[in-house]
Amino acid sequence: MKKDVFAVEIIQDSLLAIGDEMFVALARSSMSPVIYEVLDYACGLTDAKGNLISQGNGVTSFIGMLSPMVQRVIEKFDNGKKLHEGDVIIINDPYVGGGSHLSDVGLVLPIFYNGEIIAYSANKAHWTEVGGMDPGSFTSNSNEIYQEGLQLPGVKLYHQGELNDAVYEIISTNVRLSELSIGDMFAQVAALKTGEKRIAELCQKFGAESVKLSIQKLLDKGEKIVEHELQHLPKGEFYAEDFIEGDPLKGGPYPIKVKVTISDEEFICDFRGSHPAVNVPMNCSQFGLMASVRVMFLALLGDIDVINEGVFKRLTIITDDNSIVSAKRPHPVSMNFEARIGAADLIWKALAPHLPERLSAGHLQSVCTFILTGKNPENDESFLIVEPSVGGWGAANDEDGQSGQYCMGDGETYNLPVEIAETKYGIQIDEYSLNCDGAGAGQFRGGLGVRRVYTVNHNGQKVSVNLGRHQFAPFGLNGGGEGSHNYLIIHKKDGTKIGPVGVLANYELQKGDRIELVTATGGGYGHPHERSTEAIERDLLNEYISVEVAKQQYGYHNA
Amino acid sequence: MKIATDIGGTFTDLVFTDEKGNLHFDKGHTTPGHFEDGILNVLERHVTEDSLIESFIHGSTVIINTLTERKGGVVGLITTKGFRDVIEIARGNRPDLYNFKYKKPEPFVERYLRQEIDERIDFKGNIMKALNTEEVDEIVHKFKELGVEAIAISLIHGYKNPIHEQQLKEAILKIWPEVYITLSSETIKEYREYERTNTTVLNSYVKPIAHAYLKSLKEKLSTIGITDHLKIMQSNGGTTSFDKAMELPINLVESGPVAGMFGAAKLGQLLNESNIIAFDVGGTTAKCSLITDGKVNVTTDYYIERNEKFAGYPIKTPVVDIVEIGNGGGSIARVDQFGSLKVGPDSAGANPGPVAYGLGNTQPTITDANVYLGRLSLENFDNPVSINKVEEALVEAIAKPFHVSAEEAAQGILDIANSNMLNALKLISIRKGYDPEDFTMVAFGGGGPLHAINLAEELGMKKVIIPYGSSVFSALGMMMTEYRQDYIQTSLMGFDHHHLAAIQENIDQVIANAYADAPLSKDHYYFEINYDLRYKGQEHAVKLNASTITLDEEGLLELAEAFHIKHKQEFSFDLPATPIELVNLHLTIYGKDEAVQFKELDFSSIDGSTCVKAQRNLYVKGTGWVEVNVYDQQKLVPGYVITGPAIVENPTSTVVINDKQSIEIDKYGNLIVEMEGK
Repeated sequence: MKKDVFAVEIIQDSLLAIGDEMFVALARSSMSPVIYEVLDYACGLTDAKGNLISQGNGVTSFIGMLSPMVQRVIEKFDNGKKLHEGDVIIINDPYVGGGSHLSDVGLVLPIFYNGEIIAYSANKAHWTEVGGMDPGSFTSNSNEIYQEGLQLPGVKLYHQGELNDAVYEIISTNVRLSELSIGDMFAQVAALKTGEKRIAELCQKFGAESVKLSIQKLLDKGEKIVEHELQHLPKGEFYAEDFIEGDPLKGGPYPIKVKVTISDEEFICDFRGSHPAVNVPMNCSQFGLMASVRVMFLALLGDIDVINEGVFKRLTIITDDNSIVSAKRPHPVSMNFEARIGAADLIWKALAPHLPERLSAGHLQSVCTFILTGKNPENDESFLIVEPSVGGWGAANDEDGQSGQYCMGDGETYNLPVEIAETKYGIQIDEYSLNCDGAGAGQFRGGLGVRRVYTVNHNGQKVSVNLGRHQFAPFGLNGGGEGSHNYLIIHKKDGTKIGPVGVLANYELQKGDRIELVTATGGGYGHPHERSTEAIERDLLNEYISVEVAKQQYGYHNA
Repeated sequence: MKIATDIGGTFTDLVFTDEKGNLHFDKGHTTPGHFEDGILNVLERHVTEDSLIESFIHGSTVIINTLTERKGGVVGLITTKGFRDVIEIARGNRPDLYNFKYKKPEPFVERYLRQEIDERIDFKGNIMKALNTEEVDEIVHKFKELGVEAIAISLIHGYKNPIHEQQLKEAILKIWPEVYITLSSETIKEYREYERTNTTVLNSYVKPIAHAYLKSLKEKLSTIGITDHLKIMQSNGGTTSFDKAMELPINLVESGPVAGMFGAAKLGQLLNESNIIAFDVGGTTAKCSLITDGKVNVTTDYYIERNEKFAGYPIKTPVVDIVEIGNGGGSIARVDQFGSLKVGPDSAGANPGPVAYGLGNTQPTITDANVYLGRLSLENFDNPVSINKVEEALVEAIAKPFHVSAEEAAQGILDIANSNMLNALKLISIRKGYDPEDFTMVAFGGGGPLHAINLAEELGMKKVIIPYGSSVFSALGMMMTEYRQDYIQTSLMGFDHHHLAAIQENIDQVIANAYADAPLSKDHYYFEINYDLRYKGQEHAVKLNASTITLDEEGLLELAEAFHIKHKQEFSFDLPATPIELVNLHLTIYGKDEAVQFKELDFSSIDGSTCVKAQRNLYVKGTGWVEVNVYDQQKLVPGYVITGPAIVENPTSTVVINDKQSIEIDKYGNLIVEMEGK
């Protein structure tokens, strides 16, 4: 065994690199901007039992989806006994392991070495289209899952290396723009095979036993890290309550609550008592919830360099049956990230006062989905813009909040440059600036949101938005003020206006109308009177705050 | 006499040719704060009153240092109304996914130094709203009051039609003639407002410093009679004049490192090796770059300070595509809190340096592992090396916690370091769709030759070349460069016969601009044109090289054909039925100046039979200690084939070859390693 000590290091290093390589491979061969630009996907490896070994992510939440998905597949196929070399399973069921919404389509490939399953490679990617009532399969209008697109319950896309034509045809017939979705599906398969190939190479070089040993040691290490980090977390029970904002025309807001219990051995999040599942698509399933809670858990642990199944061993989630954060079929889940992130944000809110070195005050929280469809005035071609929006993050105990950043559920996500948007879609954007109004006052000031203004230059374009934190602002901390709200206003050419609104579905626009999207500013930290004169004066100089705000909120009178 | 000087962190390297064209090397200490003094010190040893200076090429880290140390000038930014915050919003991404206290890059120009001006140009380049220059007086007044030293102007769609940027510049210079101004349209004509604005701001930021440095260097050089043919190395692998560098100093950001990559490409052309992985290991980092079809790959996808946890700052200027990792000779090995062996990115640097330097460091480094295993000679060091101290460091830091011997610990350090370097090499090759087996490795820098053999073996490569002068190869590469400027213009349109005339019109325009910009007359240059093409609806583009600057129907079809093939290679799929779009035209203009060539060496006075200078114990993984011959590279003659295991040394570099591999010197003084023997 002595000789193996450094081999273990190198195998582990290789296992981590494989997750990354699969991630890059998928981006490289995808045809959809939502994958290769927005990076809305993840690739990873699990061991033979479905324990996560390593994963490459572009957005945060997928970290909690791949291994439960593999575990679901193992369970479904008779503890893996009905899986063969060359099989690939396709699955997007939101209500079982690894589920979020139908748009996120997962693939799982068992990796055999000498006739034995040694690992699984898996990935999950946001498809541009999975069918359903609205183009883009992204709807705030559904009231049950059947409207949201094609459901794939975990079936063999490949059987022993042969493409399953029946499944392939069902998919290509049921989705719009099937070339893109099918292209992405094959890109996902190619990425899985990269993982398979690399694992086989590792086994050949170091022997399957060494690889297995290294995997086990890696998982142990993950667990050890968390045991160690748990010691540094505050102990006890922590509570928070908040709301998931639905579509005000259909109901809501829906109360949610959490009790977080932390001991040296365990981290338990109990969401019982939250609102029952609703008939608007802001629900998430218990597996969607798990994904976001895992993200939150990682954020609490701080900077750890190994993230695998071992890390999550001490994490437990409890919910009621069929609540807004544990919805069951057929409750709609298209905008599931609103409930998912809302629930994770509750943990944030409960713990932030006790863990200031890791957590700031409240942030924009919502993905702030902005959808614009219509025709390009240049060439009359149809376009579909689906864009998340950046906004303000909360202030922390040692710094002002960050301005113009995506919410916690996103990650390595990039905004759409104005010059590209205008060139590609023929639209007109008049302003992309910081929104300083209402930034949470405090010793440290909340981060700034943004204001993005469009002038509609073609009749018949339609806008949809889904903005959380519209009715309830991001929370302040330790005496700091609340931030401001996300909202959209349509300034119509005739002088009237629609809004401010938080949810809008397929609103038809006329040439000359102006769309003003404004995102939230973050919450403040500490009492505003504690803010240094220097910082206040800097803010005045930079026009982050007005003289009036300086006087009224910060008690500054030298201006 | 032709001269190249390259300023590194520790040493300032000098390469020059004598009247016969023979190459000579020297080095002196770098003098931080006043780099020009260090250059003068080493030059004065060789340049006399009688020297006839044909060219002076300079590579410098002044620009990158100014940026990373935040020592630039005060910049005022002017943008289109409604967009002054673009530079602060940036792209909104958070690479450190689970860090909810992530700090995004702070802009190099604070908000109070950002002014907006009423104007608007649309994406087709049409003026939607005329420029209102009445506001200029007030802006200038404010900027002066705020101590602005350099102005950056970046207007929306300025890449498409620079007229407003130019008018604004004129209006400002009228009332403030001495201020430094940079237009976004002068830096790069590519769309994406954040990236272009940031590039423009960073250019403005370094401009006052670059100006002062180059002016001072010019004055100092003139004191030893070097007054003409002054050139400076750019990030794109070519040179430019001092004057031009003062205008666009941001083009020098990777001035030094790219020269070695360019040299590797040149060497490849000489030796008929068109596919090369260039590999450079220094004291703190390892860098690698892929060379295909004999050319370095130039990209505008370049960032400073970017890493897996920080978004960094984009600089959209043409830069040779290099991947760099924090593993070099001085990288420190340690056991982390969870019992894993880590190597780098912390480095012992040049002082105290590795344990072997005897300057007080007790943490083992990659160099120490190489020393302990007999791979590096103790005589390579200026000081007497205490092998006991090296052993003690290895035992305490690594061997004890892992319960292994000192040899195994040292081998472990090398294994981990090689694994890190392998990841970087795979990043530029396998992950981009290239098979390393089709490439030859050219390894240089202080540590490149020492690591290259094992890495090439892992990658299944057939041949490794250790170039003549490998430890000063960056300066050597610089000698061989020529004038080069890149002009990139976003010209979005269908790449089809309907647009043939429009494409040609754009090409002609770019060429006309390039001629207007070039310091000499037309006949001093030659062109190369690249098309950035993509499938309609897709975002990622593929760069394709065309042989002529006129595009006819046939040429268009050939390029389309080539595009499908290259797209499939880079992105693993093609869409033959999908229309192709032109994104950017990329024109490169090269000077026809006579670059220095590699020269055949005179071996006539060398007695090859004395090339074995010693025997040394070498630790071979899996075998243990073996006694091997140590060869003196300076005594090798072509035709003499050495079979491994063996060590070949010269005063500044060492190569260790393994069982069955062979090594032979060629007529240019390069060491050629055949991985499967000869």
